[in-house]
Amino acid sequence: MGKVLMKGNEVIAEAAVHAGCKYFFGYPITPQSELVAYMARRLPEVGGLFLQAESEIAAINMVCGAASTGVRVMTSSSSPGFSLKQEGISYLVGSELPAVICNIVRGGPGLGNIQPAQSDYFQVTKGGGHGDYNIPVLAPASLQEIVELIQDAFDIADRYRTPVIIMGDGMLGQMMEPVEFGEYSEPIGQTKDWATTGTRGDGAPKIISSLELDAESLEKRNEQLQEKFALIKEQEVRYETYEIADAEYILVAFGTVARITMNAIQKARKHGVKVGLIRPISLWPFPDKPFIETRNKVNGYLAVEMSAGQMIEDVRLAVNGCAPVGFFGRTGGVVPSQEEIYEKIMSFAGGLPV
Amino acid sequence: MLRTDKRITILAGHFGSGKTEISINLALAKRQKYEKVAINDLDIINPYFRSRDVAAILQQQNIELLAPSNRLATADLPIVTGEIYRVLHDFRYQLIVDAGGDEDGAKALGQYYLEWKDLSPELLFVLNGNRPFVSSLEGAAFTIKQIEKSSRLKVTGIINNSNIGSETTIKDVEKGFALSSRLSEELEIPFLYSTISVALKQEAEDFQKTHDVVFIKRFMKLPWEKEETFLGEKSRF
Repeated sequence: MGKVLMKGNEVIAEAAVHAGCKYFFGYPITPQSELVAYMARRLPEVGGLFLQAESEIAAINMVCGAASTGVRVMTSSSSPGFSLKQEGISYLVGSELPAVICNIVRGGPGLGNIQPAQSDYFQVTKGGGHGDYNIPVLAPASLQEIVELIQDAFDIADRYRTPVIIMGDGMLGQMMEPVEFGEYSEPIGQTKDWATTGTRGDGAPKIISSLELDAESLEKRNEQLQEKFALIKEQEVRYETYEIADAEYILVAFGTVARITMNAIQKARKHGVKVGLIRPISLWPFPDKPFIETRNKVNGYLAVEMSAGQMIEDVRLAVNGCAPVGFFGRTGGVVPSQEEIYEKIMSFAGGLPV
Repeated sequence: MLRTDKRITILAGHFGSGKTEISINLALAKRQKYEKVAINDLDIINPYFRSRDVAAILQQQNIELLAPSNRLATADLPIVTGEIYRVLHDFRYQLIVDAGGDEDGAKALGQYYLEWKDLSPELLFVLNGNRPFVSSLEGAAFTIKQIEKSSRLKVTGIINNSNIGSETTIKDVEKGFALSSRLSEELEIPFLYSTISVALKQEAEDFQKTHDVVFIKRFMKLPWEKEETFLGEKSRF
């Protein structure tokens, strides 16, 4: 199969099918409805099952059920619908079930609008539902990167028995780019001996549950989860850097916003300001390393987001007071332009002691 | 350019085929010849990247945009404007109708059947052979049948707009042309021409000698495509 021209939402769906996902439970919501529609048409072709649930809450609980049997399963939504899934996501974590959940973010809070946004960063990276937990979050910036990260998402989900979130803004879901789907093979040697596929007189019944009535036992379970999160933090960090070797200022942006900043960076460089970019690809675990390596060398960092300033908190933690951290953001579905990012870079660079 | 003598031209096709880009180009071409040109954004499918998103360019060229009012332009509702009736029977107007994708998008056309059935509107099917579901003869023919059913009109012409965005080569156009020709034969619908991005003008020189070609400009741009694209050192971890 050569290159095809696809919409971001379609790419997410097709990449999931390529990664062996045969089950999808969802409920349409703009701007990710094409994903649901694509799955409805595509999954029967590969012998899978698509089911439109009566609500987002029902969909995530169907995902819990399917994941319990060890199959690769996915659901998707956009901000308000994603909020509805939080209880089920917490149950997935508590029951240690692998699944992939997409959030194609739109302007909020509340019903907001259907324009692109990144303002669900806190929700996806800091838990989102109840209880002590984190979920690996991957944020692609291009449609080709979606293909790769969806495969990674399913692999990570199985490897650690955890839900994984793919986060993109509405623009990533709606835009079109050429993509190519390579051959994918599932990692070998992974057995899901915990899956509830029925006993055949070969042992005790298997139970998937997040219920633990005894306090000491639940604490122990939490400790095990924390160990798992620590391992993920060690193993699953992903990021990209752009022009940081000689950078005096570093922009920090993820997803489509990172692509807008690249042109602003080039323009600033033409005007003599050495700027680079750190693009977190995994939002949790957040990539501290490139900040630790640069924080004593650069004059400052500038976080650029389609939110009122959420990722900037993780940037500040990683920079740890070693350099100033500035912010530029647009909210409500407004996409920052190259020009205004460029202007912000220039004023940020000019306003600091050199 | 973009030859069509009919006063009403409707663009339909699989979603993501490039109907909006062709509609805008067609409106601009018509404006060269006619005083009054209107483009009706009938897209009830896409939430972004619609004719209404280039309102400023159309206004500049004195092309009337018939679209839901600003207050509702980005509402998540399948709204069409009643303004179409103002120009539908006004023979001074050239009207271009940009429908949403597939049969669902064509549903918005069905309601006007009684209004325009005697005005012999042109219903053009835009084909991008690099899109899933319409990359095969069966898929494309199926889509045409569905569109005809929900619009209650017959497709009167096929446009080959095969591309893969910024990475399009003349090979994609040729492949799409072959598919369009087979489709044209199979369904006995005339093939009109291939639309090719102006960026490919040089590469298309030979193809143009032997085929009907219309060069089009791209208007639906992403925020990072508005100025120069980036070069530079990237490292991935």
